Amino acid sequence: MKRHLAWWGERALLVLVSVIVLFPIAWMFLTAFKRPRDAYSLSLDFSPTLQNFVTVFADPWNLGDMVLNSVIVATVTVLIAVPCASLAAYSFSRFRVRGRKFLFFLILSTQFIPAVVIVLPFFLMFRTLGLLDTRLALIVVNLAIVTPFVIWMIKGFIDAIPTDSEEAAMIDGASRLRVIKDIVLPMAAPGILTSSIFCFILTWNEFLFALILTRRDAVTLPVGLVSFRTERGDLWELMSAAGVMITVPIFIMALLIQKHFTRGMTAGAVK
Amino acid sequence: MADVRLVDIEKKYGNFLAVPQLNLTIEDGEFLVLLGPSGCGKTTTMRMIAGLEEITSGDIEIAGKRINDKPPKDRDIAMVFQNYGLYPHMTVRQNIDYPLKLRGVDRAARTRRVQETAEKVELEALLERRPSELSGGQRQRVALARAIVRTPSIFLMDEPLSNLDAKLRVTMRAELKHLHHELGVTTVYVTHDQMEAMTLASRIAIMREGRIVQLDTPKRIYSEPADLFVAGFIGSPSMNLIDGAIAGGVFTAPGVSFPVDQPDRDDVVLGIRPEDLEISTAPDAPVIGKLYALELTGESTLVTLRTGANSVCARGPADHEAEINAPCHFVPKPGARVHLFDRPSGHRLDGLSAKGQTL
Repeated sequence: MKRHLAWWGERALLVLVSVIVLFPIAWMFLTAFKRPRDAYSLSLDFSPTLQNFVTVFADPWNLGDMVLNSVIVATVTVLIAVPCASLAAYSFSRFRVRGRKFLFFLILSTQFIPAVVIVLPFFLMFRTLGLLDTRLALIVVNLAIVTPFVIWMIKGFIDAIPTDSEEAAMIDGASRLRVIKDIVLPMAAPGILTSSIFCFILTWNEFLFALILTRRDAVTLPVGLVSFRTERGDLWELMSAAGVMITVPIFIMALLIQKHFTRGMTAGAVK
Repeated sequence: MADVRLVDIEKKYGNFLAVPQLNLTIEDGEFLVLLGPSGCGKTTTMRMIAGLEEITSGDIEIAGKRINDKPPKDRDIAMVFQNYGLYPHMTVRQNIDYPLKLRGVDRAARTRRVQETAEKVELEALLERRPSELSGGQRQRVALARAIVRTPSIFLMDEPLSNLDAKLRVTMRAELKHLHHELGVTTVYVTHDQMEAMTLASRIAIMREGRIVQLDTPKRIYSEPADLFVAGFIGSPSMNLIDGAIAGGVFTAPGVSFPVDQPDRDDVVLGIRPEDLEISTAPDAPVIGKLYALELTGESTLVTLRTGANSVCARGPADHEAEINAPCHFVPKPGARVHLFDRPSGHRLDGLSAKGQTL
């Protein structure tokens, strides 16, 4: 009986937490399909419409441009960060170089710096270079933010791979690079894929730098959301529709990697 | 095929000297076993031959060529690892094929050689499986097949049988021996299992703290251990080692008196193997004590008696029966070897003849 009670208590708690966490998201999804006059109503009784999605992609909002910016910035960041981080992670994991630990700490320490502290220097630098409001600037900044994290994450996966297979391959006749290509990368593939998606999500959701460094041409989705706060008030139904556009790809990716993700986090956690 | 020469090899990890000044020549076609307790430097020595570990100083030569600075892939060696080191994402066929593929062997020849090798180690039915779908023994065979597929000039084996269960280990041991006989490739084999070393080796190098204590054929290592360490390490059950002194041509310890052909001295250890002793009723037997334990091993009974601080073990007939604590006498068998060692240094005493004294 007592165990029964505990079982139900546990379930109730889980449901409660889920409701608290999911409520704002559910509300956003609902609002995205509401007409403007229903947006402030608490009633669930409304006639749904797709008009909001049509509106946000049309002039003056042009959400399509922002989607394109976000996709390009996130994709290019992943394509550069992950290969570089994989090689760096391999080196940190395998080579016993003097100062290795310090160097690794140095790279990780960049993660301790609050973004607000470095956003101004970045702004000044890009202004000097004439790169304000460009995707290139965003890619560079995102690389700086994301790469250390991805190195740390992939290193966790590579650490978990026993060196026996690598040494066997070297004796079988493979060079170091060949070993990485034939043995390490395939064995670390689930981890690298997880890290890639994680990296994509981080970049996709990045807000502060995109807000400061872009104005019109290179605006990404999270920053685009802000534009729905107008002189006519906050356009909640449009903002929600745009919010759905931001969240759905991430949801899908999270679903895809869910299985590897927990493993990835623990592999990274235990070092 | 080739010989291997290690000249003044040294390996340091920081300030820790793992292998000091090692010299060793492994003859062409020989099966050399590096034997020793864990941490004795045997694996380090092998890894230096493989090129997986840099040497701090000294020279390694394979077939007369200095290979210190060559990467593992250019040393023409194959290695079997303790944990197999298979490629988990490849099938058995791809695993065995990988060394050939890397060396640019053409496809037709590769297919043929993988097939031949798989047959040699009885893997032909498992070629399309992945390592995770194999048992320990099968994985060991894959590792072996991968090593022999391209007939290297030297085989290195790092405790290849230690992850197998006892029964399989004995089977695989015989297979390894047969394989070496068939291929005749110079082999260096690392183990801490003295039985493996005895059965497989042409010569055994017994290592301790990075040094080779004795390098000899299994037979001589068994019959003429160079010091107390080797005497205690080789043989199962291990040699009886009794502390005592020599006076008037007789080795004496509590309950033990052996006539020996040595000058008087203190601090002597007498060694005699259990299989060189037999149970007797003679009142003047050299070893007299009280029966401490009887252990039936199947083909014989291990009889242990206690006298003073010493336990002495003898291998008796399987049907031997007696009461615990009953008086018990051992006499050496005809032709038995008695070994004498210097206690402080551990060295063998009868160094003059370099032979165990035969009674």
